Amino acid sequence: MNPDLSYTWAQALADLSQIAAIATLTGFFLFAIVVDLVLPKARRGNAVAIVAAVGFSYSLGTAVYRWLYGQGGPAYHGFATGDNFALFFEILFASLGILTVALSHSYLKKRGLLEGEFHILIMAAVIGMMVLASATSLVTVFLGLELLSIALYIVCGFVRTDSRSQEAGAKYLLVGGFASAFVLYGMALIYGGAGTTVIPEIATRLTSSSSSNPLILLGIVLMGVGFAFKVSAAPFHMWTPDVYQGAPIPVTAFMSVGTKAAAFAMIVRVFAGGLPHLAPEWQVLLAFVAATSMIVGNVMAIAQSSLKRLLAYSGIAQAGYILIGVIAGGDAGLSAVNYYLFIYMFMNFGAFAVITLLAGPDGDRDSFADLEGLGRRNPVLGVLMTIFMLSLAGFPPTVGFFGKLFLFTAGVSAGYTWLVVLAVLMSVVSVFYYVRVLIPVWSVSTRTDVVPSSLTTRSVVALSGMASILLGIYPTTLLLVGQLAANPNPGP
Amino acid sequence: MLLTVVWLLPLVGAALIAFMPPGLAKFWGVTIALAALAISIGVAAIFVPGTQGFQFTESQPWIPQLRIFYRLGVDGISLWLVVLNAFLTVIAILATPLTTRHVNRFIALMLAMSAGLAGVFMATDLVLFYVFWEAMLIPAYFLLWIFGEGERPGRAAIKFVLYTLAGSLLMLVGVIGEYVFTGQKTFDLALLATMPPSASIQFGLFFVFALAFAIKTPLFPFHSWLPDAYMAAPTPMLVLFAGVMGKAGAYGFLRIAVPLFPNPVLWWDWRWVIPVLAVAAIIWGALMAIAQRDMKLLVAYSSVSHMGFIVLGIFAYNVQGQQGAVLQMVNHGLIVPALFLIVAWISDRAGTRDRSAMAGLAARMPVMAAVFFIVTLAALGLPGLNSFAGEFMTLLGAWERAPALALFGAIGLILAPVYMLRLFQGVMQGPPAGPEPKSDIYTGQLVLVAPLVLLMFVIGLDPNVLTSLMSAVGMPGLAR
Repeated sequence: MNPDLSYTWAQALADLSQIAAIATLTGFFLFAIVVDLVLPKARRGNAVAIVAAVGFSYSLGTAVYRWLYGQGGPAYHGFATGDNFALFFEILFASLGILTVALSHSYLKKRGLLEGEFHILIMAAVIGMMVLASATSLVTVFLGLELLSIALYIVCGFVRTDSRSQEAGAKYLLVGGFASAFVLYGMALIYGGAGTTVIPEIATRLTSSSSSNPLILLGIVLMGVGFAFKVSAAPFHMWTPDVYQGAPIPVTAFMSVGTKAAAFAMIVRVFAGGLPHLAPEWQVLLAFVAATSMIVGNVMAIAQSSLKRLLAYSGIAQAGYILIGVIAGGDAGLSAVNYYLFIYMFMNFGAFAVITLLAGPDGDRDSFADLEGLGRRNPVLGVLMTIFMLSLAGFPPTVGFFGKLFLFTAGVSAGYTWLVVLAVLMSVVSVFYYVRVLIPVWSVSTRTDVVPSSLTTRSVVALSGMASILLGIYPTTLLLVGQLAANPNPGP
Repeated sequence: MLLTVVWLLPLVGAALIAFMPPGLAKFWGVTIALAALAISIGVAAIFVPGTQGFQFTESQPWIPQLRIFYRLGVDGISLWLVVLNAFLTVIAILATPLTTRHVNRFIALMLAMSAGLAGVFMATDLVLFYVFWEAMLIPAYFLLWIFGEGERPGRAAIKFVLYTLAGSLLMLVGVIGEYVFTGQKTFDLALLATMPPSASIQFGLFFVFALAFAIKTPLFPFHSWLPDAYMAAPTPMLVLFAGVMGKAGAYGFLRIAVPLFPNPVLWWDWRWVIPVLAVAAIIWGALMAIAQRDMKLLVAYSSVSHMGFIVLGIFAYNVQGQQGAVLQMVNHGLIVPALFLIVAWISDRAGTRDRSAMAGLAARMPVMAAVFFIVTLAALGLPGLNSFAGEFMTLLGAWERAPALALFGAIGLILAPVYMLRLFQGVMQGPPAGPEPKSDIYTGQLVLVAPLVLLMFVIGLDPNVLTSLMSAVGMPGLAR
């Protein structure tokens, strides 16, 4: 490709419109930093939270507008794109940002952590996720990955008085650095083989005959390892429980959904979008990772006594299920992945939101005993927690069932019946620990203390609960949207 | 629309009653259950016998991407189970004591379970069937766990759920497999029955479906959840749990396993494995029932034995057997709730469930003894009462398929009088012993059990009431 050095204003505007959602959010991000600088300390926290919420909403609106009326296409010489795939994830991440602001506000206030930096960092992480989703070059992929990760390293250790939070931050930094290095090395090898970093071009240059090139295979393996780190899939999951447990709950909730979705966007974009001719190679790798994740995640979750750790292991297992859709690929597989990632936001975030409500000023309360009598103390919360657990376990008529149905159907159609059978058997195991969470919720308890109230957090719980039911009873639209966004290769 | 109302009405009622003051719960629960029953009976009254195809069908695209439809329909087989379910729901809610803790939640969960069961019997789309099949587990779990009796109802509840799920989640693979491997990309049961996949795929798919149904029924050797669960279940719940939910498994065999997989043969022939297991269940359940001293457990094991007859009839692959099986599903659905209720009432008065700790109760509670006697005779298959015709037809069908099956199955008929009469005689007859019962049967309880007993006579004297409609079958593949 001849570098075309002419760059007009019209081109600049067209490029910018392709990444409008990211640009909008970045504008608000910069504004939030200014607000944090100029306002007196006492008012910063609230003001930045409002800026963040407005920024996420505008970004969401922009992405939805572009989905409805925009024309997606390559931007910045093929380094980024505003295609449906990118927009879908931008919508997801912007919604996640809104939920996170709503969830964290009262939590931060309660724990005396209400500082502007928190929301600014969350915004930075969301920008990173969005960059990842719209990146169509290995360079921009890595850019997004690092932006996302560095912001998260800091928020994980945000509670400076809590050594576990500090440990989480440090651990995540070290392990995340490793993962980034793996990804980068893999990308370098792929670049060496293809001679370009632009993903659609890689797709045309690396044909199935490239599978005889050991360096390209090594590149795939190295990238796969790094990606598996980021989606917290076994056997590269070791950091997940510790980091999830140590980080403040809203951060854990944000990471468990956002990082996972972003990493899946990255996997799909790079593997399914960039290496379609080498599919047999990376499918084997991912099938192995999926199988181990489902086994390790579900078996280890049984023994947990901390809800955060339990949800961490459940997240590992869920990553395994979602990988089935990635492996199956095609319209059916990738639309199932998109659908699942979107609903996963609601069911997982909802569960974390309930635990957030229980937190006290001194720290998070996430043992089984803390849930005791929740159904009595607040029946609505009890019912919603039940919905989230049943949904994660995959009981109809909740969304979790339909997500699994779509993933598994794609898996069987693509000939991965053994993987689906394994997933199903492991789902039986998962029911054991998800239902175990419900035992303290509904068992007879003498506790009568009122569950701390917070309007924003409760609206997050209520919204997630409704979505967990309604998107299940009526899954068609979301699945259709996921289907429209199921093409990770925007074309050259 | 009618069929949608049949399952949606109890569900909406459940949601409302859950938030009602407990005092109103029973009245409204009974009202809603009666309304659902009235509609079901209405459906049965308009039902046209002797035609092929499902009736009262509803079909709406649900998830067009996977060609999943919201399809409901009833035929001569499912109609009776829908009516039975609605009927027993009324009985179960009437039997609920007002003193139950959180009675509003209890009744709400019962209605939700009833809604799920109704859905299972009416769904004619495989995914919809699966959704109802799984969804009814949720209220069943909470009923067992929160309202369960005994020391550790939670254990029994989770055992029941995990057992059932192990089967039914594998069934999900089967559901997907039907969609993929038949090459038709449809979940329509009637359509799927016309185009079975190759024998080796049938072999695998039959296994996953049959496993789910065998656990639910339960069939020997998958029955070990049943004693625990039935022991833990409160009596009103047992009316639905034993009366209807067990039939869901047998219904699955008849609706899915038999017509969709006419030739499930690879390493062996599943069509012989299941009836052999059924015979094993008949004998094993009866022997275990003989060995029990706990009356509730005795009835639970007798249920295993009776369910064996039903499955045996289904896998006779002929009209007598399968008609007998459906008839027997209804019969058993009348007898077992009555038995559980009576046993609970007796042990309530005697203060123990140990049958050897009491004797000669008949002199002190004659009306109860009379009712118990009729139900006992029905349970052991006395001609003139309902169970006789059903069991006779299943055995006749089994004889036509293979005399050995019928011969061994008939052992169950011999053992049934042993455990039923031993139970009745030991408790009711002989010189009075044990604690003095508080009273005879209450009028309310008599009114409650009277319709069950009445129906035992009606069906016993004229089983054609039911079988005449059974010729209307919704899908091909059954032996009729």
